[in-house]
Formats: sequence, structure tokens, C-alpha cells
Amino acid sequence: MADESSRARGPTTRLDRDLLIGRLAAHGRANYQFRAVEEPSYYLKLLTSRGERVLWGKDLERALTEAETRPVIGDLVGARRASREAVTITTRQRDAAGQVISQAERKAHRTHWVVEKVQFFAERARMARRLRDEQADVRESVRAHPELRSAFLSVRAAEEFASQRIPNEADRAKFLDLVRGALAGSIRQGEPIPSVRLNEPKRASAKPVKRDEPTR
Amino acid sequence: MSRPAEYADASEAAIADVLADAATSGWLKSALRDALRRDPVDALNDALVLAAVLEAHLREVLDLEH
Repeated sequence: MADESSRARGPTTRLDRDLLIGRLAAHGRANYQFRAVEEPSYYLKLLTSRGERVLWGKDLERALTEAETRPVIGDLVGARRASREAVTITTRQRDAAGQVISQAERKAHRTHWVVEKVQFFAERARMARRLRDEQADVRESVRAHPELRSAFLSVRAAEEFASQRIPNEADRAKFLDLVRGALAGSIRQGEPIPSVRLNEPKRASAKPVKRDEPTR
Repeated sequence: MSRPAEYADASEAAIADVLADAATSGWLKSALRDALRRDPVDALNDALVLAAVLEAHLREVLDLEH
């Protein structure tokens, strides 16, 4: 296995999605748990208030190289499992000529990580609050956080969908609350902010239709 | 019971590194010097409590809780 932390294994729980905070002490490619017989993986060593923690997962390398805040050794970072997806891993054994002689499949989970400097998560928490707050002025919020534009557009798309497809007012409100909650949750988790394009009505204009640019 | 020499060397080297590092804050250098004059068990115990309390404070101030 190559996608587990050094903690006990188990199903995804709320604890699994918690933000682990620590000083980035080391990271790099290594065989899982530094054992020669295990599969190649990637580790991240954090010095936390409860001692040293070593996280393992192939996705940690991507999470670090694609991190918006570019954490380096010595930075105070947060690491969070953003999502898990079920994958099937196929192991093939080959003979000396390179021909496949046997094949086995096993189920595993691929964990997607977010690793950023800790201030990133504070900023995302602020943004999530903005989105959740129904009273917040959308224009003001987008001015303060231009990256939230696509999220507000997602909410607007959901509102349009609800007004057309959900006749019951209470159901409509419940649906929109769920959408806002899910979006705010994703933003807070540090996941990429969704991009959305609304189908704008066609106008008799020579100007090309302006599209919303993706956030990331 | 005396400490194995290699542990003592590693510990002293780590302490010297922290105290000599220009990037180390004055607060940490001062806290380390004070701690080294104390009982090592009490000092580490207090440091762990301090780290846990400061982490909780950071989570609160930055609103990092769920």
C-alpha cells in the first residue's frame, strides 16, 4: 500500500479530513514506510505539537509541487486529505522476455492531498464563510475575492436550475442550502474552486460571447 | 545512569545549531536557554503543553476548525 499515513488504517472518517498542522521537516520519494520490499511512494515528515508525523501517499508529491503557496522545508504547513477515490491496481508479472505471465487486480484507494502553508487554509476559511453568508453582497465579495466569482456563478446556476425544476419553495431552499454548503466545504478543504459557465442568451451582437475564465 | 555519548553529542549539536541560527527568534533562544537550566523531564513536558496550546490558539485565530 502506498496511500496511508503512519496512523492506524480505517475508513474515511471526519478525523481523516481534519487539517494536520506541522513544520515541514522533510519530504521525498521513498518506498512506503522506508521498507525496501514496499512499493515506491512519497513521504512528508511534519513536526507537529504531538511529535513527528510521517504521511505517505503518491499524491503528496503532486500536492507539494502544485501547491499555490509553494511550501518549503521549515514552513508551517497544513496537510489535508481532500478526497479519496476507489481505484483498481493491476499487477503484472513478466517473464525474462518481458511477456506477461500473470495478472492480478486489487482494490485500493487513491487519496488526494492538499498541502499548503497554513495561511492558505485561513484564507479559504474566510472565502467559505463569504459564500455561505446569504446576506453577503455578491459584488463586494467578488471584489474582495475575485477567485470566488466562479463559485458564485455555480450558486447562480443552481438557483436557475432550482427555479426551473423544483416547484416546492421549501425543497428549493433546502437544495440551494446544500449546494452552498457543499461549495463552501470544498473551498474550506482547499480543493480547487469549481469553474462554471452559464448559458447566456444569444444576442444580436457582433461581439463574441464572453466566457468565464477558469479560476485555476 | 549516564547518557550514551552519541546522544549527548547529537543533543548538544542540535542545541548549538538552534542558538547559532540567525533565523531563530530571540524568544525561542531565550526559552531554550531557560529550559536547559530546568529538569529535562519538566522542561519537555511543559514544551509539549505549550506547543499544543499554541496550536489550538492558531486554529482559533485563523478559524481553521470545521
